[in-house]
Amino acid sequence: MVIAEDSAILRDGLVQLLADRGFVITDAVADADSLWRSVERERPDVAVVDIRMPPTFTDEGLRAAIELRRHYEGLGILLFSQYIETRYAAELLADDAAGIGYLLKDRVADVSDFVEALRRVASGGTALDPEVVTQLLGASRHSDSISVLSVREKEVLSLMAEGRSNAAIALALVISEGAVEKHVANIFTKFDLPVSQSDHRRVLAVLRFLDS
Amino acid sequence: MTGERAGDTGVRMRALVKEMAGVVSEKAGDRPRELARIIWHEPFAKRTWSEFWFLTIGTPLAALGLAFVLLTIGAGVVLAITFFGLAILALSIRGSRGLGGLHRQLARGLLGEEIAEPEPFVHRPGFLGWLQSALRDRTGWRSMAYVASKVPLAFLGIFVGFSMWWDAFYCITYPIWGGRGNGVAAFGIPRIVFGSGFFSGGQWGFLHGLGIFLAGILSFFAAPWAVRVVIGLDRRVMRVLLSPDPVAVRVRSLEEARAQTVDSSAAAMRRIERDLHDGTQAQLVALAMRLGMAKEKLAEDTQLDLDQVRQLVNDAHRGAKEAIIELRDLARGIHPPALDIGLEGALATLAARCTVPTSLTLDLGERPTPAIEAIAYFCVAELLANVTQHAKASRASITCTEHGGWLRVVVRDDGTGGASLSRVGSSSSGLVGLTDRVHAVDGRLGIVSPPRGPTVVTVDLPLHA
Repeated sequence: MVIAEDSAILRDGLVQLLADRGFVITDAVADADSLWRSVERERPDVAVVDIRMPPTFTDEGLRAAIELRRHYEGLGILLFSQYIETRYAAELLADDAAGIGYLLKDRVADVSDFVEALRRVASGGTALDPEVVTQLLGASRHSDSISVLSVREKEVLSLMAEGRSNAAIALALVISEGAVEKHVANIFTKFDLPVSQSDHRRVLAVLRFLDS
Repeated sequence: MTGERAGDTGVRMRALVKEMAGVVSEKAGDRPRELARIIWHEPFAKRTWSEFWFLTIGTPLAALGLAFVLLTIGAGVVLAITFFGLAILALSIRGSRGLGGLHRQLARGLLGEEIAEPEPFVHRPGFLGWLQSALRDRTGWRSMAYVASKVPLAFLGIFVGFSMWWDAFYCITYPIWGGRGNGVAAFGIPRIVFGSGFFSGGQWGFLHGLGIFLAGILSFFAAPWAVRVVIGLDRRVMRVLLSPDPVAVRVRSLEEARAQTVDSSAAAMRRIERDLHDGTQAQLVALAMRLGMAKEKLAEDTQLDLDQVRQLVNDAHRGAKEAIIELRDLARGIHPPALDIGLEGALATLAARCTVPTSLTLDLGERPTPAIEAIAYFCVAELLANVTQHAKASRASITCTEHGGWLRVVVRDDGTGGASLSRVGSSSSGLVGLTDRVHAVDGRLGIVSPPRGPTVVTVDLPLHA
């Protein structure tokens, strides 16, 4: 794994944290160019990238992430940001939600959540920050469809949009996996969407629906 | 062209006449031979001809202009009850502006009189807006005043010029055809002098003819100067009425200063946001991370490694203290608390923290407004930073005095000089930013920095912004 973060304090902290959890960190860099060189050299499974990096401190990380995914198949990228910008999320998820993660830096404080999201991304799934999901659900024009859902179904929808698997949702809501499957099916029926198998594809389906 | 020496009235009068006559003082000097040469040369000089054309073209233009102004104002006033009156008035002013521009061009082309173009006409949107702006256009009104006053000036010029030239021609050719006419000079000034009853006719005929001839010669050589005097008057009026409106110029410079201030405050906000984001927030996230890890380790039942937890907590504590220091420095960069008490305390801290030994002298009777104190403080901070980084000085001094409503801060160092506002680099960009801030409150910043010598930077700020 490669870490790209311009703040030295945070970079060292991340390295320490992830090494402690058993990830193999091949490189820690501070800007987009070094990130490219590092990925070229090391071919990691996943890269943890800060969106704001030198030289312009706007969206270097985002640009690099989109380009890297086009170049290197199977590279998972977890993007970090101090703020959630829905526009960035939309650009990121434009083509494919597999192996993409977009988290607030605050999430790092909840160590196990962060690590779990990272593992999900590394294995090809999706990890969206709950903040992103809230914003998307709130801004959606299909608010009437959403209001038709029951409270439980809304919870399942949020967690599903984050990219979690049925098992993870069951764990988070303390219900059985079968109950989760039932809710998911109900949601997809109410939205009039086909039920897809893989977790990241259904994230895309849900988000596309919400955005349309 | 004038050599204004204060005090000597005679010299000043001479200088004034010289200016109005358009004499180039270096050329004329006071040597008679030079003077004679110029007088001999002048009627044939290019300038004389230019002025002649100026009069010839300018006068009909002036007449037309006056006709236009009178007509439109008349119509406007008559119709003022209706809406059309105002519109015509506005057109009149806009037209005057154009006419003023024409006169200006004429002066520039023929007389070489460079008068700066006033600011272009800018009007509020919509027809009513145009109307309002046109009626309020100070430059337009001033141009109209010029057009009105141009006519008497032009006619005076024509009278003087033509009368003298014509009479010169008449008088010089008098001996050829003289006597056959009435024997009286036909026109203008010489008529007054050589009218009937004086020097005319009789046995003095020959002397009379000679006198007229000589008068012609005199007139011929004096004509250019007389014309020049009249045109000089015209030029003065032009300079007053056709030049850019001082109020508008001031407004423009204030608008520029305001734009700069707005830009620099936006830039300051961005800087603060970046400092907070990269510094303090990163520290706090790292802190939360370490404590999160420690928390998880303590929650684990198996194999509790106390050493690891201790290390994490130590690192977290250290990070918290560093974050506090960074925040404090950041806050001081935004507004030092010492300034609330007064400039003296804040500057004393700056002097003490400077690595170069710095002395501070303060002599303030009246306390400036807080905004001015803040600007003075940041100026001194920036200048001392430059001294430490670039000057290689061994001593520095800050002097703060107040005089006549102005605050003067002088920062002196004995290091290598060469500080300037034009050099590219981080030090000069700080100086440029300072200058902008100082100018925004109508202050002044002066740098005296010879390459080897000591550097003295003087900042003058009004006591009350």
